[in-house]
Amino acid sequence: MRFQLDEDLALLKSSTRELLEKESPLADTRSLMEDSPEGFSKALHGKLGGLGYLSLLLPPEQGGMGALALVAVLSEMGRVAFPGPFLDAVLAVRALGDAGESRWRDRAAAGEALVVLARRESVGTGEPAEPSARFRNGSVRGTKLFVPFGAQADALLVETREGLALVPRPDAGWNAKAMPTLDHAQRFAEIDLNERAEPIADREGASRVLATVDRLGALGASALLLGLAERALEMAVAYMKERQAFGVPVASFQALQHRAADMLVQVEGARSATLRAAWATDFDPESAAYLSAVAKAWSGPAARRVCGEALQMHGGVGFTWEYDPHIYLKRTKTLEQFYGSTRSQLEAALRARRI
Amino acid sequence: MDLRFTEEQEAFRSELRRWLADHLERPWQDEVRRLGRDEDALFEVRRRWQRKLDEAGYLGMGWPPEWGGRGASAVEQAILEEELQRADAPTIPNTLGVGLLGPALIHHGTEAQRRRFIPKMLSCEEVWCQGFSEPGAGSDLASLRTRAEPDGDDFRITGQKVWTTFGPWADWIFVLARTDLQDRYGGITFFLVPLDQPGVEVRGIKQATGESEFGETFFDGALARREHIVGRVGEGWRVAMTLLGYERGASALSYPAQNDRYLDSIVAVLREQGRLERPDVRETLGRLVVENEVMRANGLRTLATLAEGVAPGPESSIEKIFWSEYAQRQADAALDLLGPQGQLSLEAPRAVPHMNWPREYLWSRAGTIYSGSSEIQRNIIAKRVLQLPTKR
Repeated sequence: MRFQLDEDLALLKSSTRELLEKESPLADTRSLMEDSPEGFSKALHGKLGGLGYLSLLLPPEQGGMGALALVAVLSEMGRVAFPGPFLDAVLAVRALGDAGESRWRDRAAAGEALVVLARRESVGTGEPAEPSARFRNGSVRGTKLFVPFGAQADALLVETREGLALVPRPDAGWNAKAMPTLDHAQRFAEIDLNERAEPIADREGASRVLATVDRLGALGASALLLGLAERALEMAVAYMKERQAFGVPVASFQALQHRAADMLVQVEGARSATLRAAWATDFDPESAAYLSAVAKAWSGPAARRVCGEALQMHGGVGFTWEYDPHIYLKRTKTLEQFYGSTRSQLEAALRARRI
Repeated sequence: MDLRFTEEQEAFRSELRRWLADHLERPWQDEVRRLGRDEDALFEVRRRWQRKLDEAGYLGMGWPPEWGGRGASAVEQAILEEELQRADAPTIPNTLGVGLLGPALIHHGTEAQRRRFIPKMLSCEEVWCQGFSEPGAGSDLASLRTRAEPDGDDFRITGQKVWTTFGPWADWIFVLARTDLQDRYGGITFFLVPLDQPGVEVRGIKQATGESEFGETFFDGALARREHIVGRVGEGWRVAMTLLGYERGASALSYPAQNDRYLDSIVAVLREQGRLERPDVRETLGRLVVENEVMRANGLRTLATLAEGVAPGPESSIEKIFWSEYAQRQADAALDLLGPQGQLSLEAPRAVPHMNWPREYLWSRAGTIYSGSSEIQRNIIAKRVLQLPTKR
């Protein structure tokens, strides 16, 4: 029995940390968040593709490394609040592969083209519901909401009532409106579609492909939440040790110590649950859906609480734009709602246990 | 990363399940019901059960074969505890004897002490209780004031111990007593003391549950023989601290197993009442299921650490906080979800079958206090894991 990453994955994790420290420091996240309409670095996205990161979820012979590798990478991206559509792109690459669309799969995996899924049609609930978008006579018609980095996408993988359709970006560009949210680093789009498209999966095929996307999305989001919470706790602890009040570091106050201890309980639970779900995804597929739901249902609220506490423990500066806690708070709150909201994951966990 | 059990471990589990199916009177609470909550009779149920476990070789499995063990790994012991919980087996009377004193004797005792005490502890011929806490020394255990004064070759003990589990039925007690009033840690010695002697009085403490499985023990010049000191004079603190470490790991999977059993019971009642589809009910149940599964994931992590031969560090404080506070949330939720039926005592005609929710609800308040309160556990995490400074 062994409950930690094997050597090769530990190496992947540490080299990812080095890469992100060099290529995507928090200062860059800030400038992308503040100044860039794209919200991410296309050059870095391409570089990640070249290094094989976007192929993580493909079969091994196509460069895939499995769910544990995904978690190793995404938890590092969480730590730096990595901006952009990395998880969405990895999921789309997997979906394209599962649907047998190899041309776009290869371009997306190489980082040459950005493909993301377009599923949501309602602002009212966080969950994908039965779509009203249609695929007929070679065209997709409908309106998709909260498409992650959709305005920057080279193609959309659109969920329609008839199945999955691939829509390449029209020559005139997308008919997209920005959907700014509480996470200033996120770039959601509302996209009106009336475009030529290629069908890549029928209804049945689509539900199979999307079930996998949902399961891996929950796992990936858990890993991001783990990294965000882990780093937010570190920031809070560092600040508490440095900040003096009443002649002592505030870290010496028991009221804060006990709350910091609770934050650790939340973070370590997220780590245990996420790694276990990743292991199940790779080696015990029967329990993978259940354990991924468990991981996301825990990590979402846990990370949101930890990041909220981290902001509070910074005091007044925690509420400023200048200090970093708000970046973590925003990302966790958004992630909690997407990739299967907490509420829907609780329900999924119950159903998996036939309750 | 590998979360599979080995073939040998799976075989051990199957063998154990077959044995439990053949030997456990199930559900044993029904016997308690018949006994009308007579605590002495309940104790005899526990004693009989311990004998069966001993005869089958399931006690002290991690010990060397000469002391009745089979050199079992931490994983096998965790599987044993998990299966006992799944099957809803009674707690054995010598749970602290087998869990704490046995390992202490094997690591720090003399050959004569092991021969004298271990076999009768395993067979439950002698019941042991623990004399650590005092009215003035709970979380701050090292402030204990029970004294042991030399009397010829031996010692005379004077003072008071509380929370001696199963004290009212015990024959012997393992006691931490002060042999040096000045030296806070180095002045403590670990004694084995017979309770049936002049100078010892044991009283049951009536708990919030109405039961008295805890006792308080008064010593007034009670005799403690030099040959019954474990370790050397002044080594008691060290012995006690190492033996507290032996507890770790064994419960890694058993709390989640118990919680699953309780959840199944709640779900069965709700299904029968036709209330299982209510969204508020499902959200509450979902949280309980998820939190318990996270507890199991933490437990597997602890177990894997132990299996690699690494003693778990202060992370065990995370587990303690987790299971004890979860038990309160679960019991709270159960009583809310079940409605008034959840409050019915075990012996009431319409009580939830095979469950004793009133007792669980009250008993869950003890878990956050004993074995290092939640506050102490948070201090440990803050200081040893997060390295937060102590206030001067």
